[in-house]
Parts: sequence; C-alpha cells; structure tokens
Amino acid sequence: MANIAKKVSWSGKNDETRGERTPLLNGSEEVRYNRQLSGGPIFHIGRLSTVDLEEDIATEEDPVRSRPKEIPHNEKLLSLKYESLDYDNSENQLFLEEERRMSHMGFRCLEISRWVICGLIGVFTGLIACFIDIVVEKLAGVKYSVVKKNIEMFTEVGGLSISLLLWVVLNSAFVMVGAIIVTCFEPIAAGSGIPQIKCYLNGVKVPRVVRLKTLVVKVCGVICSVAGGLAVGKEGPMIHSGAVVAAGVSQGRSTSLKKDFKIFEYFRRDTEKRDFVSAGAAAGVSAAFGAPVGGVLFSLEEGASFWNQMLTWRIFFASMISTFTLNLVLSVYHNKTTELSQIICCLLYEIPLFICMGAIGGLLGALFNLLNYWLTIFRIRYVHRPCLQVMEAMMVAAVTASVSFAMIYLSNDCKPLKMDNSEEYPLQLFCADGEYNAMATTFFNTPERSVRSLFHNPRGTYNLLTLGFFTLTYFFLACWTYGLMVSAGVFIPSLLIGAAWGRLFGVLLPNKTFIKPIWADPGKYALMGAAAQLGGIVRMTLSLTVILVEATGNVTYGFPIMLVLMTAKIVGDYFIEGLYDIHIKLQSVPFLHWEAPATSHWLTAREVMSSPVTCFNQLEKVGTIMDFLSNTATNHNGFPVIVQASGEQSGKLCGLILRSQLIVLLKHKVFVERAHSRLHQRKLQLKDFRDAYPRFPPIQSIHVSQDERECMMDLSEFMNPTPYTVPQETSLPRVFKLFRALGLRHLVVVDDVNKVVGLVTRKDLARYHMGKHGLEELHLAQM
Amino acid sequence: MGVFVNYACLFRLLLWANALTFITAVNIASDATELSGDRALNRPSSFISVPHAFQPDSFRQFLTLGLSDAFPEDMEGTENCLELLSIFGQRYVTLANCLVSYARPVKVCQNCYTDYNNFENIYKNISSDQSGPGNVSCQDSLLWSDRLMLLPSLYSGLRDIWESAACTNCLTAYQMNLSNETLNFLAKLNQSLICFDKYQQGNHSELCKKCKTAYKQLDELYSKMEGNKTLCIDIEDAMNMTRQLWSKNCSSPRKEMVPVIAVSSFMLFLPIIFYLSNYLHSEQKKRKLIHPKRAKSSHSLMNIQDKFS
Repeated sequence: MANIAKKVSWSGKNDETRGERTPLLNGSEEVRYNRQLSGGPIFHIGRLSTVDLEEDIATEEDPVRSRPKEIPHNEKLLSLKYESLDYDNSENQLFLEEERRMSHMGFRCLEISRWVICGLIGVFTGLIACFIDIVVEKLAGVKYSVVKKNIEMFTEVGGLSISLLLWVVLNSAFVMVGAIIVTCFEPIAAGSGIPQIKCYLNGVKVPRVVRLKTLVVKVCGVICSVAGGLAVGKEGPMIHSGAVVAAGVSQGRSTSLKKDFKIFEYFRRDTEKRDFVSAGAAAGVSAAFGAPVGGVLFSLEEGASFWNQMLTWRIFFASMISTFTLNLVLSVYHNKTTELSQIICCLLYEIPLFICMGAIGGLLGALFNLLNYWLTIFRIRYVHRPCLQVMEAMMVAAVTASVSFAMIYLSNDCKPLKMDNSEEYPLQLFCADGEYNAMATTFFNTPERSVRSLFHNPRGTYNLLTLGFFTLTYFFLACWTYGLMVSAGVFIPSLLIGAAWGRLFGVLLPNKTFIKPIWADPGKYALMGAAAQLGGIVRMTLSLTVILVEATGNVTYGFPIMLVLMTAKIVGDYFIEGLYDIHIKLQSVPFLHWEAPATSHWLTAREVMSSPVTCFNQLEKVGTIMDFLSNTATNHNGFPVIVQASGEQSGKLCGLILRSQLIVLLKHKVFVERAHSRLHQRKLQLKDFRDAYPRFPPIQSIHVSQDERECMMDLSEFMNPTPYTVPQETSLPRVFKLFRALGLRHLVVVDDVNKVVGLVTRKDLARYHMGKHGLEELHLAQM
Repeated sequence: MGVFVNYACLFRLLLWANALTFITAVNIASDATELSGDRALNRPSSFISVPHAFQPDSFRQFLTLGLSDAFPEDMEGTENCLELLSIFGQRYVTLANCLVSYARPVKVCQNCYTDYNNFENIYKNISSDQSGPGNVSCQDSLLWSDRLMLLPSLYSGLRDIWESAACTNCLTAYQMNLSNETLNFLAKLNQSLICFDKYQQGNHSELCKKCKTAYKQLDELYSKMEGNKTLCIDIEDAMNMTRQLWSKNCSSPRKEMVPVIAVSSFMLFLPIIFYLSNYLHSEQKKRKLIHPKRAKSSHSLMNIQDKFS
C-alpha cells in the first residue's frame, strides 16, 4: 500500500519531483507551479490533466510530507478502495499441466457446463424477477385495500386526516424496513445497482457487489421501496440481481452460506466469472423489460472490451431463458389460461418439433455445404478460365429456367385467384379460367416474393407435391448456383428452401398426427424451416435470430427461432463448417478466428515465428534496402530496425519500419548525404505518406543511381519506435489474443536482451487449426 | 296487433340485451314482415314501408314504462333521439334482410344500395353534433354513453361488409345508381349465359365454338374493368361462376408434352457435357508451396504429433 502511495503521490509532492518533471514539461513549469500553489487539485501538463490522489494518501503516515492536505469530496478524485479484476490468464506450469491432462472430451464438458450455467442463470434471474413482481403486487394490494377501506369509512363520518396519517405511516413503515436492511446489512445494495455492474464489467472489483447477502438485501429492499410508494422502479435492481445470481451460480458455492457444491470449480477465477456476470446482467435486463436482445446489447455496451462470439451467444441464451421463465411463471400465477395453454402446448409439442426441424435444417445445410464444397473445389481446379466461367453462369441460368418451366408445365396444382392479388404474375396455363398454377407462384416469381407468399399465404395455398418438388429442385439449383462467377447471395435462396420444406412440414403435421390444425399454422412452420435452413447453411446465430425476429416483427417467435438456430448449428457443425467459412478456407485466406485453437498453450512464439528476420540498421545503406525490397522471392513487409552494439553481429531492437514507408523515403530520396548537401530541401511530413496511401508505388518504379546506392538512410525518424514485442516463451493463445485484439500485422519476438529472434505475422498464426485429429498445420502457397 | 307485440318485445331486447339477440330479432322481424322478391323494384322511394302499428309514439310509450321509471331525468328532452333510434332500428333490419336475401349468388350491390344509403344517412344524423330540441345532442346519449356502444358497432359491422364488397366501384357517385359499366357488363353476362343455356344439351365442342365470341368479349370486358378497378363483389362472383361453367366444358389440353420435355432434358444434358469436357480437357490448377523460414521448422510438426500421441 505504501508502495503504491508513493508511486501515485508524485504529483502531490511538488518540491521533490520538480527536477524530474522539468524535461518533460519543456519549461512550462513555472506557470504550473503557481497553479499548484493556488490549491486546486488539478494541474495541467500540456494537454493532459492529471487527477490528484491526495485524499487517500492522506491516511498514510508519510514521514516525507509534513502535513497531508485535506480537501472536500468532489468528483475529481479516485479512491484506492477499488482494484482491478485479473482478467488475464496466468499461464504457469500448473496451468499447462492441467491443460495437458485434460482430454478433448473434458473441453467439451466445460463448454457444455458453460451453457448449463447460462441456462441456470436465466432461470434463476427469471424466478427472482417473478418473486419481486408478485410480492410487490401483493404488498401494494394489501396496502391500497387497507387505505381504501379507511378512506371509504371516513368519507361519510368525516376525519379523513386519519386516513392521511394511515397512508403516511404505512408508506414510512415499508420504506423504513427497506432502508434499515440496506444501511445496516449491505450498503452496497443501495441504489439501482447499474453503476456497480457497469464498474464490474469494466474490470473493477467493487467490494461485496456480487455476494448472496447483497442479493437478498437488494431484493427485499426493492420490494419495500416499491411497496412503500416511493417513485422508484424495480428494473435496475433486477439487473443487479441477475449479475449476483450469475456470479453465485457460476462458482458452485456460496461463501456467505459456507456451502460448497463442488461443482464448476474450473470457473473460479475472474476471467470466467466476469463472463457469467455479463450474462447475468443481460438476463436481468431481459427479465426487467422482456427484451432479450436489449439485454445482450446492454452487456455489449457496458462490457465491450472483452467480447467474443461464443460469449455473445451464451449471453443471448441466458436472456432468452430468463424472459421465457418470467413469462411462464407469471402466466401460471395470474392464471391466464389461454396464454398458459399456448405456452404449454408450445412446450409439449412445438418446441420438440422445432428442435427436430432445427436438426433437419442442420442436416440439409451440411449437405448443401458439402455439395457446394465439392463443386467449388472442382470449379477452382478446372473451371478457371474466364470464358468458361461465363459459359457456366449462362448455363446455370438456362437450366434454371427450363427446369422451372417443366415443373410448372407438369404441375396440376390449380388454385382460385384471389381478389387481393397476392400473386404478381399469376400464370393460368392449363388451369381453368379464374385459377392459377400454384407451382408457378413459387418458380415464376422473384425469390423474395416467393418467400413472402410461403410465409403469409393461408393454409391450402400449396399442395404437398408442389412444395416437395419445389424444395427438391430449388435445393439443388441454389447449391449449384452459389459460387458461380456472378454476384449473388445465399440468404434468400436458403430462406426459400427452408420455407418450402417448413411449410410442407406444417401441412403434413395435422394430417398425420393428432395435432389440431388450428395450432399448426403453416406460415409459422415455414418461418421455422427457413430459420433452420439458413442457420444450417451459414451458421450464424445471434444476428440471424434478431434478423428473423425483426423481419417478421414478432418477438414471441424469438425463443423458438433461437432454439432452431442453435440446433441447426450444432448438428451442422458436427458434419462440416459453415458455407462462408468453407469459402474463406478455399480461398486460402489467413483468417483469424475468435480464439486460438483449444489446447494450444504448449506452442510458444519460438515455434510459431518465422526465424531469420531481415533487419535494418538504424543507419542503413540505400543499396542494402533496395536489394532487400527488390527481392521478389521474399515479399516481406515489416522490417525490425536494430542498433548495432559494438562487437556484436546482431543488434538490439529499436523500432519497426514498413515497406511502404521505405518506398516513400526512397522516392523522396531522404538520404543523410542529401540532407547535408541541400539544406533547403523540404522536410518529409506525414502528409507525404498519406498522399501515397493506399497504392504505394512498387519498388520497381523507383530508380536509384549507383552513387545514391552508397548513401545512407536514417530510419530513426520514420520507424515506429515502440513496436509490440513478445518474449520467445509466449504461448500461441497469448500471441493470438494480441493479434486479434490489437489488429497487429507484425509482432517482433525478442530474446532476454531485446535482440530480434523472429517475427510473427498473421500467416504464422492462421496456419494452426483444429482438424479431425487435433491440431493441424496448413501449408503456405504462393499467391 | 300481434305484429306490434312482436316488435315491442324486440325493442325491449334491443335496449337491454346484447347485439346477438338483436340479430336474431332482425331475422324474426324479417320473417314477420314477409319481405321478399326484388325489393329495389318494389320500393322506389328511399323511405321504408313501416308497418303502421309500429310508430315512434308507441315505442316511446313503451320505453317510458321500462327505462324512464328508473332514470326520469336522463330521458328528459330526448324524444328526438328516441325517434332517431327507432328509425335506425328499422333501417338496420331492412338492410340486413336485403343483404341476406342476396347473399348467394352475390347480388348485394345491385339490390341493396338504396337500403344502405338510408342506413348510412340515419347514422350520420345521429352522430352529427347538432343538438336537437332541449339542447341535448343525441350523439352522446345514443352512441357513447355505455360500455357496449351497440349502435356504433352495429353500424361499423355493416359498413365493413359494404366496404369489403367494394360496392362503390359499381355505383355512380354518391351511390345513387348502378354505373354504366356495370350495366354493360350485366348485359354481356346475360348474353353469354343465354348462349351457354342454349347449347347445354348438345355437344360440348359446339358450345365451345358458338359461345366463344360472347365469352371472350365478356372476359375482355372483365379484364378491362379489373384494370380500371371498377369491380365489385357482384361482378367478380358472376364472372367466377361463368368461368367455372366455361372451364368445365372447354379447357385447353396439354398438347406439347414431348417438345417441352425434350427441350428441358436437352438443357439438363448441357451441364454434364460442360463439366465432363472441362474435367477432361482443362488443365488442373496447381499451387506452388513455399517453405517458410522457421527456427525449428523441422520440429514443429513433429512436436504436434508427439504431444498428441
């Protein structure tokens, strides 16, 4: 503590630090010194304003300072009470050993238990929200009925002032209870709790904010204050409660109750806990407002610095479960039979059906991806000449048209024309006058319109054969079409395929089973089928749920759509990756995923990096630079800059310079000799680099004479003097995290005396991926 | 007198019971008055032939027995309103009766527009904000003074029916008469139907040949009207029936089965040839591998195998 105090208190101790600061402040010290004497806690260094930490230091017994300064509390202070959370993983020997011992299955189990915990968080948060709702309703009901009775009694006989007093007493009593439990038991539970949760998600360890006691006090407190008639809402505390539930459930024990369930022991660290707390906060928001997406966005907004795809999806899951629990329990409590029967029939038969549809979507999606993968490989290998590609595209168009025509021609499905004209181009063909060919509405239409009519047209618009043939042909056509040399998307075709078989499912269902047709709206099944198919092909999760919910404008479908998409993704991922990932891979793009491959902690930077690195000296000969840059075999882009210590062949790292910068320097002939000879020459500015951006001239376009080759270039002014470096022992996930989070291009690997030993680039990282048999390494290919 | 008693009962229901009972009452009433046949011809004037026994006076007298006992001051000065109410009731009954009698085949627009105009007028009278004698506006007392709001919901029910039938499309401005186009269509329709009838007994192919011109003209006229948006339910329904009648007898057969299948199978054959020829004749694209510079490049893959085995 004293140590920290000394470090931060430099700004307060004016006399001692004066000497230190003088070079930093470029002689503006006098002015600042005066300001400091005038007593304001803030003083300015250049444009930076520094906050004085004096208040807390004042409690320390510091012999150097004679008298700690005291100032009244204001907003420009920082407290030493708060510490940071340890979000970074400590990769020590024990950790590596545990990872080595853990099997592949173990990692799967961990992932599953994360999902289970998120589900539990959702359930408990929903239940707490119900509890608060119900108790508030009951207490307020009792209060209002008592006061009402009293007022009615005294309206006739007079003496309404007694009623007034009764009301006052009742309210005060409720609020007193609430205030007492907060002030005496857990002061942190005061207020809405959102500031505290924001701090926690930001990475600040706020003492006692996620304890069980806080939760109990918070829930009772908010009940008392709402029942006490204060102008408060229960939403903020609900968010806080969600966060506490998450912190408690994920740890599998309660220190307040001194009870350890011996489960989820792996998650007992800040990294994991904070992930769950963000899920809990999201669940709280969604329970408070019935807005699952809002909950996810809340967590995203407040805890955005540590975020990834899987976490987002888990948070969304927790939010959805929480809203669902809340709605279910509340409708049971309020005895809303219609809603309840809807929910129960949902639970009993619809949810399993939707999950089945999700699985079918996953299978079909995987089949689609597999066929498209083979086709794309074939296209890359054999159909690579432009004329062939154009021919292929035309041929696909021709076949699509002729197949559609044949289908329409052979179809016997005639439906009467409607007045509202939902069909833009009704084809009569062999149907009777006043009827149209139903097959034609699906084929003889833009796909978007077909999707719309599949979603919205009433039962009986399409017959089974039409839908079946349509699904089959359109599936193969779409699969064949994706990857042609035309600009074309896969969203609407997948939606269309899914909507067609989903509708087929919905039409078949009441025919073959006991289910009443009133429940089985074919439009709903078409929507679920579309979601399943699209999810099975592109494997998007959260965004797709939100897209579909927003497109249909029906929030109640959110939960089933989420389940369908999840199932589709799980089933599909078992067989093959998503379509976009396949195409990224086939284009040999060094794509960095969200996280490094699991169980790769044992790989270190030494194994990952490219090793002999081309370095430049700080003062380098133009000829050398030209030679390196013109070498076509190596297409290096970043060059570490070193200073040569006397008597050593490799020097210490002092910066990093890019190819583009060097080219601009060479173009402007910024050589040391020239600078001496032509003093009038304009100094190179950042503008010169910007002007050349982003198409820097190739090295071949720069001509350097033989004389100039002997000149020297001073790179120190133009290089990045503080490139990111890592020691050789850094693990692959750590390097990966740096690359992903900071968007790095070059990462210099140095040894213990800061000498360059290697360079890590994106391709070095992207070549590791999880294959069927553990970690695999990809090959590098030219162009 | 029996009729009067009947009506008295009915209006007691109207006031105290819900809309459902009222509708049943309407049915009974229409039975009682024996209204049938072409009403538009029978009654040229816009006023309804009210059974003489049913006069506002007796109705009010009846009301004073029932309601004004309980709320004497509420009903004071509302005689005008009660009169309006009774007229509303009569016209409602007439309109509903007309609609039901021409429900199938649909001829509501042709036959009920006068009734509808009358009905709408009386509702407008009630809901207009003119205060009658005694400075009491009937709007408040008749339309919005209770939870049920019977009159507005009765009115909006019939108005919705009228609007979804799109009858205004077949009528002249202010719904005074059938539009010329409609009359023209009806004439053409009649021609076709007569033709159909004539050849019904004989050979179907003869019917198809002889009536083709009439039918085609009718069809063209219909398409034109569809484009102009001058269709109402009567015309649509009549045309639908005619089309069904026509299609039952004369429908075009599938003649070109073979060419269609041949062309499409030829089209299907193309890609197979295309891909096969590409596979056989196009040279396969090859990629050159690069051996990256590594500190221990020979070890790294071996390491992976080791640690996983």
